[in-house]
Amino acid sequence: MIRRQLREHIKRQLRLKDTWVILFVLGFIMMNYPFLSIFNKPVLVLDIPLLYLYLTLGWVISITIAYLFARSIAHRSDDEDRH
Amino acid sequence: MLSVDLVWGTALLYVALLFLVAYYATVRQREGRSITRGAGIYSLSIAVYATSWTFYGGVGKAATTGLDFLPIYLGPTLTAFSWWFLLRKMVRISKENNITSIADFISSRYGRSQWLGGLITLITVIGIMPYIALQLRAVSTSFTIITGYRDFHVGLMDQILLPLPHPGLYSALLLGVFAMLFGARHLISAERHEGLLAAIAVESVVKLAALITVGFFVTYGIFDGVGDIFTRLQQKDPLLLHRLTTLGSDGTNYGTMFTMLTLSMCAIMLLPRQFQVMVLENADENHVNSASWQFPAYLFAINFFVMPIALGGLLYTGKSAGSDYFVLTIPLEAGHPWLALVAFLGGLSASAGMVMVESVAVATMVLNHVVTPIVIRFKPRSFFPALLINLKRGGIFMVVLLGYFYQSTVGESFMLANMGLISFSAASLFAPALLGGLYWPRGNKIGAITGLTLGFAVWFYTLLLPSLVHAGWWESEILLYGPFHLTFLKPNALFGLSGLDPLTHTLFWSMFLNLTAYLGLSIVFGQSEKEKEQVERFVRVFAPTHDQPLHFETKRLSKPVTIMQFVNLMSKFIGETPAHAAIADYLGEKEIDSQGGVSEFELPNLKRFVEKTLAASLGGAAAGAVVESYLSDLGSKMESVYDIFSTVRTSRDQSREALFVRLRASEIMNRSLELDIIMDDLLALLLREFKLDLCVIRLLNDDGVLKVRAYKGETATRITTEDRLLEIDTHVGEAFLGKRSEIVNDASFITKPTSREILDREGIKSFAHIPIASEGIPPVGILSVFSRSLVGLFTEQFVELLESLAGQLAQAVRIVAERDARERERRQKEEALLQNARVTRELELAKQIQLSLLPEAPPDVPGVRLACRCVPATHVGGDYYDFFPASSGALDLVIADVSGHSVGAALIMVETRSVLRAQVQSGKTKSPADTLALLNQFLYDDLNRAELFITMFCCHYHPETRILSYANAGHTRPILFRKGRMQELDAEGLILGIEHEVVFEEKRMTLEPGDLVFIYTDGIIEAEEKSGELFGIPRLSALLSGMVDREPQEIVDRVLSEVNAFSGGPLQDDVSMIVMKVAKSG
Repeated sequence: MIRRQLREHIKRQLRLKDTWVILFVLGFIMMNYPFLSIFNKPVLVLDIPLLYLYLTLGWVISITIAYLFARSIAHRSDDEDRH
Repeated sequence: MLSVDLVWGTALLYVALLFLVAYYATVRQREGRSITRGAGIYSLSIAVYATSWTFYGGVGKAATTGLDFLPIYLGPTLTAFSWWFLLRKMVRISKENNITSIADFISSRYGRSQWLGGLITLITVIGIMPYIALQLRAVSTSFTIITGYRDFHVGLMDQILLPLPHPGLYSALLLGVFAMLFGARHLISAERHEGLLAAIAVESVVKLAALITVGFFVTYGIFDGVGDIFTRLQQKDPLLLHRLTTLGSDGTNYGTMFTMLTLSMCAIMLLPRQFQVMVLENADENHVNSASWQFPAYLFAINFFVMPIALGGLLYTGKSAGSDYFVLTIPLEAGHPWLALVAFLGGLSASAGMVMVESVAVATMVLNHVVTPIVIRFKPRSFFPALLINLKRGGIFMVVLLGYFYQSTVGESFMLANMGLISFSAASLFAPALLGGLYWPRGNKIGAITGLTLGFAVWFYTLLLPSLVHAGWWESEILLYGPFHLTFLKPNALFGLSGLDPLTHTLFWSMFLNLTAYLGLSIVFGQSEKEKEQVERFVRVFAPTHDQPLHFETKRLSKPVTIMQFVNLMSKFIGETPAHAAIADYLGEKEIDSQGGVSEFELPNLKRFVEKTLAASLGGAAAGAVVESYLSDLGSKMESVYDIFSTVRTSRDQSREALFVRLRASEIMNRSLELDIIMDDLLALLLREFKLDLCVIRLLNDDGVLKVRAYKGETATRITTEDRLLEIDTHVGEAFLGKRSEIVNDASFITKPTSREILDREGIKSFAHIPIASEGIPPVGILSVFSRSLVGLFTEQFVELLESLAGQLAQAVRIVAERDARERERRQKEEALLQNARVTRELELAKQIQLSLLPEAPPDVPGVRLACRCVPATHVGGDYYDFFPASSGALDLVIADVSGHSVGAALIMVETRSVLRAQVQSGKTKSPADTLALLNQFLYDDLNRAELFITMFCCHYHPETRILSYANAGHTRPILFRKGRMQELDAEGLILGIEHEVVFEEKRMTLEPGDLVFIYTDGIIEAEEKSGELFGIPRLSALLSGMVDREPQEIVDRVLSEVNAFSGGPLQDDVSMIVMKVAKSG
């Protein structure tokens, strides 16, 4: 029940344009100094360089969020159609 | 090495496949069953972003400078977050304005500036087009790598000694033809190129599949997974691995990272080819939504194996030289030529897609912003459509060829390798003008042009020039010492700014100057009319229509232009059939007036539609110029309507002034009920608030003439004194009959001769006739307003206001008319009442007179006692009785009843009385029968004429002899009571007035003492009860028989009260009676 409410809540927030502007800015910050300097270390994690791993994972997360966004908007147009 | 014939053949087959796909898509498009309308296809077409620079260069970059290659793809991923609002807005604007390219988009926003469009085209041609060269180079190089030949080459060529001028020529020609065929099928650039799009989508799939296949082979075929590659390099050369997978410890790399991110973020939106596929080729706004994750996912997928291939290549070949083509060389060296062929096809796809889209985009820009502005200076000819489409085709081909010449001239140089980022940097110059244009209403043309020019100059000076010098085109010490040894102007350290990498340095200065100029000049200078109009369409494209105030036209055409004229114009540029189709589409639901034109307020819209239609082919700037010059040839131009209201608008649909006037008008209507005062005040208000010279109100009078009822302003005799007939010859008549406002904004264009003459004489420049009518009710008049000074005074908004005032006035007129009608009715009623009262009074008088004509009291006659009474039913009656006592002591007695109880009956009664009295007075004693006969003779004519009759009973009584002789002319028979018995006194006789000569029977009888004779009119026995029962003789005789011994007067009173009580209301008929009682002797 709580999980469903949470999901609905997140879905609703995803529909806001502001959310996406914030995510856009956040993404830009996280791909720049000084954020990058945290991961800018010559270390291998799971055999993969840390910074490379960070950027790749960040990328995947971005795509996932964009996917959820797209889906929530598609849902919205469904809702609008229904009403 | 692969056989050249095999590679050539495969490539050719592949290109043939693309042709087929493109052709099929085109056919389907024509049939209306598009195959490229899916969101997936859209995302794949955006993937044209991944060129051979990604395919080959990405690996090269990863192998030489490391993580640098990633921001180029991370940037677009970030940008994709903004697509839902940014890209969607751009798509919407482009669809609504028939945008043809990014140059068209930006220049349209800034008032369709031809200069701005030209400038953007120039930047594109210099800064971005060379990128095509890079693609062509990649094709020829990759061909060389896998075949050993420098260009597409078949065995046949050796035999016929076909000249081999330069590498890449054949590939360039092939791609040029392809782009030409599918990129310029029609002149309309705003239309989607589905054939091209289908080919791009296929290519995107092929390049992705190819790179993943090679990546998979390298990672899992040669090595043991991604981790294995990293750990092996870690063991072999940890320093190299750290250099390639970190950003280093000094700060500059972070700056580079930032720059690359920014540049790529701009590039994905602003590169002409990206604009082409993302904005112009978009089929559905909702696809933006899907593309915002599908496209980043594509980029992720295509880059996933870049790092493994690069590092794997380094490990496998042991050197970083030639790392750009690891994708080809590793499979070849590993002994998998087929894999190399697949990779080659992938690279070919990446190059071809970019070249095709870019050439179409650039050619459209060059055509619309360089060629068309020149072409339209000439008089439009019938061959223009054909000329333009062929110019476009030629343009596409030329762009590809130029790219080829560029790469063959520049050759293998620093220049070419850096062209990718240099072109990204050039594209970023568009960012301020485009984003500002989308979201900042104040951004203006001067700012945009100056910003772009400065940015471009900086870009050229700090980025392109050093590249050229590096490439050895130009030996110069400028890089070391600056121009003329002015060190602060050194291109790579402008104004002493050093320590940045060249791209960051350029981005900083170009963006700084660009933004400063754009923002600064936009604030300092205003916008022209044209710009303001465009701002609405760009910045507020998403403003929901129901929130938006009703759009009022603020422009008008100084001289009306017909639809046909516009169609002719369009035909000259886009051909006759499309022109007719377009106009039919537009006119579909519009109202067309009697002259086959649209309403004056619709004309600016029609003009805009024509511009928009032409813009789809010529670009916005040229289309605007074409329409404008055409209009000026016709002697017409677009001009601002007279701003009758200030520009301040309330949140509602009208200006504060309009509200004020409406308010004042309502006050005027409510303040008075006098129509003349209302009209005077209203006209005064109009005259005071607006620049009018004369206002006239004409109302329809009962004769069907529009009569001048009020006017204000300078007199103009022909207008203010003449009434107008309801004829269509005059504008007034037409407005009234058509129930539609007649607006003439420029009196010099009117055609009605009568009106023309009047208006010429009075010097009227513009006027409007507004029917005074409220909803659903026919007009009652016309409100006319005239201006002697202003042309184009009547805007839609103003006319709407006037119409609403006229509507209010109509209400007032109606109310006043209703009130007048009510008043009239009331007065009539009053009059009638008064009349009635007068008549009643007269009648009352007549009644008094009539009653006074009856004997006041019966005469004293010895031997008999008499009593009598007459009660008329209405004021006057027809009953009459009289006594004529003779000197001999005898008594003549008459009772009569004239039929009806009208005034006529009363008059007849009076006449009867006079005649009777005259008879009696003549002294000649006559028997009752003779009297009746004589009376009949006398009265016959009058009775006959009046259609009245008289019943009469006449008797003669002699007290001494007690003989009663009597005659009866149809009168109710009197009743005689003698000793308790009742007897009716009967005598034959016709009612008076039926026949001229009548003989009456006369009877005689001797009365005895105690006899009671009751003589009466039928009012008594015909008195009616409510149930309809009559009083009747039996009831009367019963009543009388009980009272025989009473006094006559008592009897009379009793009978009357009984009758009254019986009928229960006013008497229906006159009631008269005489009681004669013979005294008892002794």
